[in-house]
Order: sequence, then structure tokens, then C-alpha cells
Amino acid sequence: MKLYVSILFLLSFFMAQAQDQYTLSGYIKDKASGESLWGVNITVSANQGTITNDYGFYSIKLAKGTYKVSVTYLGFKTIEKEVVLDSDQKISFELEEDSAELGEVIITADKATKAVQSTEMSVVTLTSKTIKKLPTVLGEPDLLKSIQLLPGVSSVNDAASGFNVRGGSADQNLILLDDAVIYNASHLFGFFSVFNTDAVKDLKLYKGGIPSVYGGRLSSVLDIKQKEGNTKDFNAELGIGLISSKGLAEGPIFKDENGEAKGSYMLAGRTSYIGLFAGLSEEFKDTKVSFYDINLKANYSINKNNRIFLSGYFGRDNFEIDNFLGTRWGNATGTLRWTSVLSDDLFLQTSAIFSNYDYNLDNLRTGSEFRWNSNILNYNFKPRLTWFINANNTLKTGFDYTYYNFQPGEIKPLKNSSINPEKFREKFGAEIGAYVDLKQKLSEKLSLQYGFRISNFNRIGKDVIPTYATGNPLTYDAVQDIYQENEVTGETAFSKGKKIKDFYGFEPRFSARYLINDNSSVKFSYNRMYQYLHLISNTTSATPLDVWAPSGPFLKPQYSDQIALGYFQSLKDNKYDFNAEVYYKKMNDVTDFIDGADLLFTKSIETEVAQGEGRAYGFELQVNKNKGKLTGWLSYTLARSERKVLGINNNQFYASNNDQLHELNLVGMYKLNDRWEFGGNFVFGSGKPVTYPTGQYEQNGIVVADYQNRNGDRLPAYHRLDVSATLYPKKGNRGKWIFSLANLYNRQNAASIYFREVSELNGVEMSTGTTEAIKLSYFGIVPSVTYQFKF
Amino acid sequence: MKKLIFSLVILFIVSCETEVTNDITLNGSAPRLIINGGIERNTTTPLAEQRIELTSTIGFLDTGDPTPITDAQVSVNDGTTNFDFAHVGNGVYTNSDIVATLDTEYTVTIIWQNEMYVGSDTLTEVPNFDNVYAEFEAETLFTDEGYFVKFDATDPAGIENYYYYRVYKNGEFFIVADPGNSFTLVESDEFFDGQQRVGVKPNEEVIFQIGDTAKVEQLSITEAYHDFLVELFTQTGNQGLSFVGNPPPASIRSNVLNTDTPSNRALGYFYTVDVAEETIEIVE
Repeated sequence: MKLYVSILFLLSFFMAQAQDQYTLSGYIKDKASGESLWGVNITVSANQGTITNDYGFYSIKLAKGTYKVSVTYLGFKTIEKEVVLDSDQKISFELEEDSAELGEVIITADKATKAVQSTEMSVVTLTSKTIKKLPTVLGEPDLLKSIQLLPGVSSVNDAASGFNVRGGSADQNLILLDDAVIYNASHLFGFFSVFNTDAVKDLKLYKGGIPSVYGGRLSSVLDIKQKEGNTKDFNAELGIGLISSKGLAEGPIFKDENGEAKGSYMLAGRTSYIGLFAGLSEEFKDTKVSFYDINLKANYSINKNNRIFLSGYFGRDNFEIDNFLGTRWGNATGTLRWTSVLSDDLFLQTSAIFSNYDYNLDNLRTGSEFRWNSNILNYNFKPRLTWFINANNTLKTGFDYTYYNFQPGEIKPLKNSSINPEKFREKFGAEIGAYVDLKQKLSEKLSLQYGFRISNFNRIGKDVIPTYATGNPLTYDAVQDIYQENEVTGETAFSKGKKIKDFYGFEPRFSARYLINDNSSVKFSYNRMYQYLHLISNTTSATPLDVWAPSGPFLKPQYSDQIALGYFQSLKDNKYDFNAEVYYKKMNDVTDFIDGADLLFTKSIETEVAQGEGRAYGFELQVNKNKGKLTGWLSYTLARSERKVLGINNNQFYASNNDQLHELNLVGMYKLNDRWEFGGNFVFGSGKPVTYPTGQYEQNGIVVADYQNRNGDRLPAYHRLDVSATLYPKKGNRGKWIFSLANLYNRQNAASIYFREVSELNGVEMSTGTTEAIKLSYFGIVPSVTYQFKF
Repeated sequence: MKKLIFSLVILFIVSCETEVTNDITLNGSAPRLIINGGIERNTTTPLAEQRIELTSTIGFLDTGDPTPITDAQVSVNDGTTNFDFAHVGNGVYTNSDIVATLDTEYTVTIIWQNEMYVGSDTLTEVPNFDNVYAEFEAETLFTDEGYFVKFDATDPAGIENYYYYRVYKNGEFFIVADPGNSFTLVESDEFFDGQQRVGVKPNEEVIFQIGDTAKVEQLSITEAYHDFLVELFTQTGNQGLSFVGNPPPASIRSNVLNTDTPSNRALGYFYTVDVAEETIEIVE
């Protein structure tokens, strides 16, 4: 309560200060497409300025006077305008793309000086324009693969669903697409991500210093925004690639008598035809592989101050082998958002969101055909108020409410199989996070952004919770070093909506920037995060069939504390910039499956997992070249990520699956002339952890491996070079060609090394007793061509 | 099933498996006691003797077989009587006095290198097959063409049953490491309690030709042994693919525990099973 009082006090202080001042506010848009631009700098004097919010809105309170307002955004021409401020003024700007700079800029939203001056640290932004310039495997630009070229971001292997940020696991990333949570961002088991870069405007990844407006995951926030759609002209694009094709249409809607559009829309679709390749081969004709996704967004301005957005995503994967198995999975999300300028200095945004992730697994083997369905559904309501108190203070406050419905599994017989239908009990939960975030400029040199989030998770009925003999589902037997499942002695029924168990979390967030001079700064941040959902996976990397489980009587929420310290520097008039950060992250109650856990079709997840601690620390370095014919970056990460769980690895710390000591990325883009552009990236990473067998024995006629230390061995180092060339059309033509060669020197990187008994002798299947080690690599050199055109 | 990997690999124009046995150096561990065997009840073909094999681990990539243990003392207790097993050579210990009896808990005691290992399992009744037959199937992604043995069987309603299947081709027990094993060779009736299953293949890897003899055994096993076998077949069927289930390898825990030095764990399983069997000739 004390805290609230002091905040109120603080607010009234700002109000008092706000006398005799006027507000300059408005929207900033892209002149060509009408898309709102966020992160645009508006400076009114050497040390007074602001930036636009997510909806392109800005507001700044200034004393009466005459100001030279300058609007700068990298890649766009700067606008300068003299404003006589003797009353509140609404001025909107439309920025024109600077074609001379086009194609040279890589980290567009973050001008080097902004990186130095912003209070944010451990944050990266990428536009889809940049992502499309990077070389790709099979010609499909990929958002998740692109962010893995940044320091502190990696994945377990080339075919892992998800990514890892600063040693966190894949389920510790909050992935938001227009505010809706995406639970699984992978297509084709992780070879591709679900985000169609044509439909995406930009992304922002928070690796640390996460502001209090976000919550619910331990390690990162990946905030992706879809394009709003062109408000000026109709525009359509088509891209034809080797494995997939995609199209996009966008344009203005509700034009008024002056030809001004009141709104716009964007509709994009993508479908793969990888299955056709399978069909060509006699051997694989029974295999079906495909995916598709649809993105849409529309907005409508009710009046000058009120706007409505509707956006949605729907994606699906299908993989089937006749008479054997089939699996389908996908996300569906919808967001309805209303933004309102309540007054010159108050901006309100309210979103209502639904998000669903589901998968099914079909057993198609004769005699026992069945379908297994599982899903996680949530409804979300998020109002947020931004108050532009004055030139030095901006306050954000609001809450996120989420209602969850988990369907762990339902079995339905297919055909006339003898399988009995069965539905596992659904689980329900409600999560609420209320926050305050204040951005405060204390002096020329020192700026702060701080706040807190209070989160609460309520596991509610209808449900039946078992009672275990000792109070816990598992007991660890230290003598035999094994978990024993406890007997279920009874159960407690909870009626609909009744509280089963609730948790509270207090999450302070703080970041500070101290300017050493105009070109360099040091930054510090601290954040505590709570996570109430757990992705329970018994594989070395996440798969589409993993189960999301809510915290409850037997599963505690995870929480983490992270501190980071960074140095930021821009060089040679922003031609280069450089930043270095160190971080330490402590994670508590992270889940890991116990040895021998079996999660497929399990009713009681609590008997298969144990919770323990994690720690991750590292050093990250990034050098960007922002201008000139050659642009790009070099990033290097030195890091460690470990876990410690009772009953695993003799109760000692062990390397987590994503632990990687060194990671180096070199990304370059070269613009030769108006027609040719080249791109290249080189990736090096030291070997990921793996568990090799320490012994063999025979059981029931086959050779079995024995193991001792979890993740005690290392795969060979990973390295790869990709190159691409883009040929732009001559004036008047609309098509463009993209040629790429992934893994140019055909390195067979080990995705895994596994051990097996040779089960064939002279072409006859039999048990042989001979053992071997096998390296599995996903791809060697992969050439591809993509053709794209606009009409 | 073995070719599942290749069907996924088609996603990529080039993708490959390379044998790297000679590039790998493994850390070894002190030899552990391995138990392989148990008490079997078979009313169709009663066993002349019960058999338990003891060996010790060798390095995973070592050539040769696990080392036979020839100097252990082995006995099994049925709750009233103690039966000593005699070493008959090559690590195999036998006893011909035990009459395997339903609903009996058997406990094995092994003394090896001055340490005692104890473990037990309970014998439960198995239902007979309703029918066993062979059907011709054309070539598929996973298998060559040939005759496949199938069975129909009815699960007793209202009780938890766990099954394990063994298939013999011309008298030879057939098994190969395969990702499909954890789904076919072991079954829980969780989702088909009390139902008749029709056309089930007890082992999808065995192909028969006309004139072959096929013997199929349905074994009743305990839940603990079922879980052990699922883990064993999952691990031995691992093909290194993280996205179709590549469980982090872990030592598979035995039901036989070292009571003197618990950290010096034994591996393998002492099981008790009831066996129903049927033998057919493959004809056109």
C-alpha cells in the first residue's frame, strides 16, 4: 500500500509541475504506405524530445515558446518544422523514405545514437526489410533464424522448435504477434518459423531489462507487429520459392470524399508444396507433408482520436504417413484493439485477444487407430494507459488479464478400432498482471526506466486434484538416487471457478542509462520475472507435441532475477556502433523431467517432472556498421547455462541443452549498384552438450546403453557460411530474383550424435550385437531461387 | 519405421547420417552387474528350468559381448521357499525346482563381489490369443513385402493389464532395435480395457515367407516392467531426431537394488511373466 501512496504522491508532483505548459502531439506515418511508424525521434531542442509509441503517436509537454521541431527516423528524410507553441497543438507528420539510404540500413529502428541514448538495454529490433536481406535456407526468409544471428540468442539445433535467449529454455520466451501469445512458433518440426516476413512489419526482442508492461515468461519477450496495410494505394505481392509460395494484398478502405482512407487492410497467405516432392518419389508416396498460414490485419479510424485494429493469424502443419501416424498442429489468434487519444497527453490502448494452440496425433496402425487431441486456449484482456506527463516523464500503467483453458488430451477411436474414447480432465487458470512503468529523465546524463508488476495466478476448477500419500506426488530416495511415485490416497473435487491454488509474484524492474558523452553511455538493468506456465518436454529440444502445464498444487511457478551491465558507443558519426553487455541470470523452480519420464499420454504430469534451479551468465558483444555500401554486424557471445535438479546428474549442476560457450556471427550486406545486392553470414558455435553412453549391456536380445552424467559430453563445433544475391528489376519491371546458397562449403554439422546397435547384416534385419556411433546432419549445401513480383 | 527418418529427411535436399564410431572417445565406467532373466510360467509348453543370466557392462563401443559373471550366488524366494540357482556356464544360472505360480511375488537375491543385490516382481495371469494368423502385405515405406503375423486378442475387463510380445521365426527369437518397438512390443490396456483388438502385429519388423514357422508369445507383465521396457525400447530406438522425440538419455533403472553400496547400481530386470503362445505355419 505504501508503494501506491508514494506513486500517487509522485503523480501529484508531476501535475503541479505541469502548469503553464502546452502539449504538442500527433501521429507519424510513412508517406508511401500510411503505416504508422514507432520509435521515431521528435526533437525540439538539443536536450528535449520524445519518441513515438507503438501506434506512431507522440506527445510532449513544453513551455510556451517557438520550437524547431525535427522528426528523424533512419531510412527516412528528416522533417524540420517551426512550431509556435502558444496553445495545445496537434501536428502529424508523414515521412518520406530516403531512397539514397534505402538498402544500406540494417538495424533501422535503432539509430546508433538512439542505442546510446535510450534507457533500454539488451534489446534488439529488426525490420522485416532487414530479415529479407539475409541469406536463407531454401529461399524462405525466417524471422526466428534471423534473431539467432544476434548475440545471446541461439537454438538447440537446426530443427529445433523455438530459440533460447541468454541460457533460458525455449518455453521461457513470450512470443507475441500483435499482442496475441504464440505457443509454438514452428513449421515443419522447427525447420521454419510460423511468421510470414511479408506480413510482418518489425520485431523487438527483449533479452533483459524487460519493462513491467510485459510478464509471464522468464527469459525474453519477442514482440512482433504485423503490417497495418497501405492506406494510400492497393498493393499486391507474390513470391514463388522452392518450397513455398506466398502472396500479400493490402490497400485502403473507407475512403472519404477527399480520397482520404479511414482505414486499411492487409491479407497475406503462404503455403508449402514440399509434399509434392515426397509424392514424386515412389518410396515416399505415402507421406504427406505440408503447412500453410494466413495473416490478416485491418484498421479503421473512427475519428481523429479513436482507431480500431483487428488482426489475426491462423497456421497449420500436417504430417502424415499412411497406415502409421499423422500429426497436425497450429496456432490461431485474433486481436481486437482500440486506441484512443483521451487528451493531448493521455493515450489509451485496449486489446481483447484470443489465442489457441492445438495438436493432434493420429495412430493409424491397424487394430488400434485413434486420434489424440490436445490444446491450450486463452482469452486475454489488456488495457494500458500512457501518460506523457512532461518532456521528462512518461508513465505507463495497466493490467493484463488472461483466462486459460488447458485440454491435456482427448482420445477418440478412428475407424472401427477397439480403443475406448477417453477425455483427460481439463485444467483452468486465470492470470493477472498489473503494472506501473515510469520513464524518467533525471538530468542531461541520467535517465531511468523503472516500475513493477504484481502478478497473480489462480488455478481454478472445475477439477479433481489427487491427494498423495506423503503430500507430494514424488519422493526422492537419496539412498537409491531415484524418485518414487507416491500412492494416490484420495481426491478433492473443485467446482467450476473455485480456487484450487493461487500464487503471487512481485516483479520489480529497473534500468538506468548514464551518458558519458554524446557518443557513449553505460547502462544497468535488473528485472525479476514470474512464469506460471511450464512447457513439459522430455526431448532435448521442444517439439510440437509438448504439453503446456499450469502451475498448481504440485507445480510451482518459475521465477528469475537478472542483472545486466552494458556499455554503448557510436563511432565515426554513427557509421559504426558498438555495445558490450554482461549479464547474470538466476532461475528458480525451472522444470526438468526426471530420469525415465514418460510424457506421452500421461494424466499426471506432476509425477514425471522435478523442479530445480538454473543459472546463466555471459558476455555479449556487437559491432554494427550502419552506413555505406557494406553494412552488417559482428556479434560474439561467451556464455554458460546450467541447471541443478534433485535426482538428476547426482544432484550436481549440469549444462542445459542450449549451453554454448562461444558463439560468433558475422553478417554482411553489400549493395553493388541499383540492381545487385549481396548478403552473407557466417556462424560459428562451440559444441552443444550431449550425453554419451558410458557402458553397454544386453537385455531381451538387444544392446542397451548405460549413461552417467547428463549432458557431460559435447558435439563437435558448428559452423556454416551462407551467401545470397538479389537481382532487382530494371525500371518498369516488377519482378525480383533472390539466389541463395546455404552452407556454402557443405559442412556436415552434427545436429546430434547417437549410438545404436547395428540391426542389419548383409541386408537382412537382425540383432548383431555390434555397436556404432552415428552423426546426423540436417543439410549440406542448399541452393535455392525465389522469384517475387509486385502488381 | 526405421525409415521414418528418411521421410523427414526428404524435407531437405541433402541430409545425412554418417558413421563416426572412430571419431568418438567415450568415458567408461566401472563394470556394473547386469541381470537378464526371470521366472516364466507357460502352460502350453512348460519350461524345464528357470533361467537368469548375469553379465557385467563393457564400454559402449567395445567390440565383443558383455562379460559373463560366473562367480555369483543366485537364489529366488517365492515367499515361503528359497531356490538356489546353479551356474551352468557363460553367466547363465538355472533352477528346475521352481513351479511358476500365479499371483506370487518372487524375490531374487544375488551376491557378487561381496555385495548383495535384491529385487522382486509379481506373476500375473495372461489371457490367450483369440486367433493368430498371417497376412501378405505389399511393400511400404517401412517394410518390404511379405507375410506378417497378426493376432486378435481380448483384454480382460476391469483389470489393468500390461503386455509384452515376443515373435520367433523358425524357432529363433527375433528382435531388432527400432523406434517402433516402444509402441508395438509393449502395450498397456489403458485405452482398450475390456476390448477385443483385431489384426494387431506383435512385431512389425519380422517378415515371413511361405513355409516359415511363426511363434507368437503374449506375456503378462507388471506395470513397473512395462515402464522399464518402454524406456528401454524408446532409448534403443533413438534416431537422433530431436523433433520426433529424442529423450535425453539416462540410465534405465533396474528393479534389482544393491543393498550394500546403493551407488554401485545393477542394471537390467528381474521379471516374472505368464506366457500365452501360439505357433502357425505360413501358407499361401
